[in-house]
Amino acid sequence: MDMSNKRTKKRFLRTRKQREQFFSATMLFPALLFLIVLIGYPLVTVLVDAFHNVNLLNNSAQPFVGLENFKKVLSDPKFVPALQHTLFYTFFSVVGEYILGLTSAILLNKKVKGRAFFRIAIFIPWLVPIIVAGMTWSWMLNPDFGIINYLLTHLGIIKEPINFLGDANYALQTVTFVNVWRSFPYYTISLLAALQAIPDDLYEASGIDGAGKFEQFVHITLPQLRSVSLVIVFMHIIWTAINFDFIWVLTQGGPNYATDTLPLMIYRYSMQKFDVGTASSLSTMMLLGMSLIFVFYYKIKTKISEETLN
Amino acid sequence: MKKKGGPVTYILLALISLFCIFPFVWMLISSFKPIDEIRQSVPKFTINNPTFANFSKVLFEADFIKYIKNSLIVSLTACVLSLFIAICAGYVFSRYFRLRIVKFSNLFMLISQMIPGVLLLIPLYLTMKFLGILESYMSLILAYTTFVIPLCTFMMSSFFDTVPIALEEAAELDGYNKFQTLFKIILPISIPSLISTGLYAFINAWNEFMFGYVFISSEDYRTLTPAIMLFKGANTVDWGSLMAASVIAIIPVTLIFLFLQRYFLAGLSNGSVKG
Repeated sequence: MDMSNKRTKKRFLRTRKQREQFFSATMLFPALLFLIVLIGYPLVTVLVDAFHNVNLLNNSAQPFVGLENFKKVLSDPKFVPALQHTLFYTFFSVVGEYILGLTSAILLNKKVKGRAFFRIAIFIPWLVPIIVAGMTWSWMLNPDFGIINYLLTHLGIIKEPINFLGDANYALQTVTFVNVWRSFPYYTISLLAALQAIPDDLYEASGIDGAGKFEQFVHITLPQLRSVSLVIVFMHIIWTAINFDFIWVLTQGGPNYATDTLPLMIYRYSMQKFDVGTASSLSTMMLLGMSLIFVFYYKIKTKISEETLN
Repeated sequence: MKKKGGPVTYILLALISLFCIFPFVWMLISSFKPIDEIRQSVPKFTINNPTFANFSKVLFEADFIKYIKNSLIVSLTACVLSLFIAICAGYVFSRYFRLRIVKFSNLFMLISQMIPGVLLLIPLYLTMKFLGILESYMSLILAYTTFVIPLCTFMMSSFFDTVPIALEEAAELDGYNKFQTLFKIILPISIPSLISTGLYAFINAWNEFMFGYVFISSEDYRTLTPAIMLFKGANTVDWGSLMAASVIAIIPVTLIFLFLQRYFLAGLSNGSVKG
């Protein structure tokens, strides 16, 4: 580098702090560009469109309609059932995933032979495309040739084969079950990492104090898992409530809307009825719901970190 | 001192593993069954006349070779692009977290990570249409990259946190500028975390369904996951071929994962705890 070049550089970025700012801005630019154009801008569009009459078939006029779109969603006879299904699906998915994830993490944290094998086996469902998970379970649950109906009738657990995905009495529970199967490994891996980080002295000290296994679990293990649990449960509440793929792949919301959820309604409004305004107002409501959950999450998180510091 | 697992531990672990793996075993068996053995009211674990007919039907008649190629192009490009972006942003997150612009970006990423794709589906669709890239690889590459940037950045930055700063100071004394330091000194010792972050981006793109289903309607650019869905719609009863298509779709992810799982699991739990 020659002298003149060095001097111009100095004039542009005089202090070390300015150089750091310039460097940081340059390095962050690609990430920010992507997030602003493909998340920030669409997000603003959704919030604006929610209050306008926007239709993909009629591009010219997009008049402001106030809360009309929201009224349309709320008075849609499919809205309340879809909301109930979303709540059921989310609640039981997350509870099932947590129980199964915690159990498998605790088992994997013990000294066992073939631990690497078990760990890989348990992680595999999370790895495969949702469409593949959906296809395979549809095939296994098939009422005519499916292995599950065969095994259940053969073992005398059920009398008649059940059309698990095609019968409105079973469809939502079945979809939830398959979702738990596919999603719980993520809990296993995160909780296992947290379990391994708990220092052994904690257990040794309490063992001397005469604490039983159950007491150790409640007073040592669970508190140490609180912040990881909070993060994964919170993330999964949102991911599950807004998941489109899983239900679409398994039942497309059927039979007769028995597994219809809010994201599927958004998809129908926008991609089948081309009613972007109404779809956006439903999206806006879901964003509002998510923000409320986030505030709740943030409060618990602050409480936990304060307790940990004290 | 870890507790040794007793018989109960082994039985439970075996049951959970069976629960996880059985669907894949059944998928594999079904994919080699001829149609008359598929449509049997008493399903069997053995195959009397194993056949490659399902695979050849899917690969050659249903054009899955093309969809595999498309999926590979999209996923590999998205993987490289997200890695590059995450390295740059993650490094700054780790080293200059006190600057205002970094704090702002960190918050922006945390929020972006929570915003689900389906809520942005329509405006994204219209944006892609406006950019003129709707029926192309580019729309998928951009969408897949965007949605993995936050987690990939957190994964990389939590790794950079572990790299001693003395290394950079030494490089600076040797006359390296900041960009050279990052790409010549730090990246070569970051291979494990590059693998886990890249793998996450690749798997995410390979597995994604909704954007591929909505953005692409021409067969020329269709990726594997929407292709399976559409194949099912056209061949509801042909479960043998559907299972063959499923086997094909999971081979790459499973193989890569088996070879690199050590890196992957460690990186993933670091990033998720940080995010």
